[in-house]
Amino acid sequence: MASFILLFFLLAVPSAVQAQSSIENNSCITCHSDIWEEELKMSVHGRENILCQDCHGGDPTTLDFDAAKALGTGFIGVPDKKKIAETCGGCHANVETMNFYGLRTDQLARYQTSGHGKKLFGEGNAKVAVCSDCHGAHKVLPIADPNSPVYPLNVPKTCNHCHGDDKLMSEFGLPSGIFKTYEASVHGKALFEKKDLSAANCTSCHGSHGAIPPGVKDIGAACGKCHVNEKKYFLESVHVKAAEEGKFSECISCHGNHGVQRASKMLYREACTTCHEQGSAAAQEGEKIFHVLAKSERGLKTAEALVKRASIEGIFVEEETGALEDAKTNVISMAPVQHSLSLSKIAELYQKFEEVAQEIKSRVHKKRQALKWRRAALIPIWIFILMMACALWIKYKRLKGR
Amino acid sequence: MKHLMVRWLRERFDVESIRGPLKHQIEKPLPKNIGWFHTLGSMSLFLFVSQVLTGILLLVYYRPTVNEAFGSVKFIMTEAYVGWLYRQIHAWGANLMVLIVFLHMLRTFITGSFKKPRELTWVFGVVLFLLTLVFGFTGYLLPWNQLAYWATTVGTEVAGSIPWIGEWIKTLLRGGDSVAGETLSRFFVLHVIILPWTMFAVIVIHLFLVRFQGIATMDRVGAEKEIKKGEGTPFFPHHMLKEGVVFFILLGVLITLAILAPFDLGEKADPLQTPHAIKPEWYFLPMYQVLKYFPKLVGIFIVSLAPLFLFLWPFLDKTKERHPLKRPISTAIGALALLSLLVFGMMAHLSETKREFFGRTYQFDIYGIPHPAAAEGGELPGNRP
Repeated sequence: MASFILLFFLLAVPSAVQAQSSIENNSCITCHSDIWEEELKMSVHGRENILCQDCHGGDPTTLDFDAAKALGTGFIGVPDKKKIAETCGGCHANVETMNFYGLRTDQLARYQTSGHGKKLFGEGNAKVAVCSDCHGAHKVLPIADPNSPVYPLNVPKTCNHCHGDDKLMSEFGLPSGIFKTYEASVHGKALFEKKDLSAANCTSCHGSHGAIPPGVKDIGAACGKCHVNEKKYFLESVHVKAAEEGKFSECISCHGNHGVQRASKMLYREACTTCHEQGSAAAQEGEKIFHVLAKSERGLKTAEALVKRASIEGIFVEEETGALEDAKTNVISMAPVQHSLSLSKIAELYQKFEEVAQEIKSRVHKKRQALKWRRAALIPIWIFILMMACALWIKYKRLKGR
Repeated sequence: MKHLMVRWLRERFDVESIRGPLKHQIEKPLPKNIGWFHTLGSMSLFLFVSQVLTGILLLVYYRPTVNEAFGSVKFIMTEAYVGWLYRQIHAWGANLMVLIVFLHMLRTFITGSFKKPRELTWVFGVVLFLLTLVFGFTGYLLPWNQLAYWATTVGTEVAGSIPWIGEWIKTLLRGGDSVAGETLSRFFVLHVIILPWTMFAVIVIHLFLVRFQGIATMDRVGAEKEIKKGEGTPFFPHHMLKEGVVFFILLGVLITLAILAPFDLGEKADPLQTPHAIKPEWYFLPMYQVLKYFPKLVGIFIVSLAPLFLFLWPFLDKTKERHPLKRPISTAIGALALLSLLVFGMMAHLSETKREFFGRTYQFDIYGIPHPAAAEGGELPGNRP
């Protein structure tokens, strides 16, 4: 044990001292102490002793201003956007370097295939985003740090720095109001209001380093990453053929994209008729599905209210609450299943739900009846008690009178 | 048949020698001042018998283990034949017993019946009252639900604050550092074996003293006249008939409460989740509230004065008068004690709750002081850190 502690001090203490001395002796930090103190010091790089010269070049060992930036020292000053991607990639695309940190090394390769990367490397357009635009330059924080601009909760705002800029977006022919639309969507509300980090943000659909708008055929794959069952049942639907032919943009044809709202059965009345004529066979099939869904929603609400009321009345409803979960499961299962647009499959689930709902109803009714009987039994009980009490009282009075 | 039985007994026992004292006891006249409030003692006895009988029925299904206790009570309430009825009668009976034993003591105090020569009857009566409270405390934990678990945690913690012996008592009650399976076993044994037999023995002594010394009259101490046959009210059948009337009404009240106001079982005890504003049973509320106003040791000292004074009262109140208006100091102290029990009990009941009075909402802090309701999620004034 003692030898282990000694070994620890021999190895760990000198390396910590060494790191401290390299910072103190770094001439870049001597002059640019504000950047060090306010940004680099708390960044992932600063903590790993990756200092100014590792990105900007220069000789940090000399205090002579000219000698530190002289030719041959590799000094590049403020790097341009292309250089930034290459400099970051210098380490982050290097398996040997990144292996130690357990980080991926395909970011640069992915970036080069992205909308941003293609513009930068292909067209030399420096107005696109590069690593430092999203992650920050000197103060790069881990993704899991809530202060990081790429923390899931901050991603939409980070993207909006550029994608919310009217002037900049008009140059690329892109809309600039996506953030507001997203903010009001079911995903935006889950992320911003419920702080649900698993809710889809920009990168969930578009990708991060390889950010690119999904094409018509890729929409289903993008949504299907999270909505696995919906995707599975959609593949059984009549719309698959149209989607394969590129005539039907899977999910967004009915649900929309950035502004997607919580899906309701009303979509069968609103979305179907945008492609199918009112009164057509397809629209009528949609109407039938609408009715089954409406019936199951109503039925579930009634069953929930019944169990709740019974619980307030003091009835033990643990079994009914369990059964209610079964009923709810059937109704919830309708959500993905309806993407198959198969009325028989949805009706089958409704049938199962209805059986459980009826069972709950009859059980609660039985328990209520039992309670009713108990209360009703109080009448003969009290008649008997009062009769006995009166009889004893009369007898007492008679005895007292003698 | 009756003659045959009497003959059979006469051939084996000296029936005549037993018959005399028995007849004397049954026909022993009671003083003229005996009223309806004198039936409170036999009502307490009836409730004790009811608790024993319903308790035996509960024992058929109850399982005193952490894993099974809650489930077994639930089984009694939902599956066992009329289990709901005897569980509710047992629960309501426990509450009514505390109330009726207390009222019986109050009647004894007001009529001065505790005075010489009946001091010991009073002392045993106080023992019975305290045993009733311990019955309530131990029985409250047995369903192993959240409220019971945390109320017992707080209760045993209070016992642990007693100087010198507190820690020992706490460990003795809990059977460990916290309320757990060991505590349940101990409370169960206390509740179904030790306490019932102890109480039975004390009841026998109490009743013997009552019968032996007779019911107190309202005469001054030392001036009581012996009631001769034909002067007072015969115990049997006159007084027994009155007790019969009260017995039937009490039985009706018990069944009615069991049906119309059943006790909720709540949620199973969870040692990792402390519910908000844990409070003990209503009969411990005044004590619980007083403890809040004083530092631990001072609070326990003040609270322990109550049973001490109860025990010693017949030896402190030396006046000869029994009528409450003729001994004003004693009556005033009693009234003040009763008033403080009601006030502290009410404050404890209201503490840490939000109530509406005359159209305005008030938040009561832990001391039971009302404050105009703060905004949602606002801190209650006076809350301890």
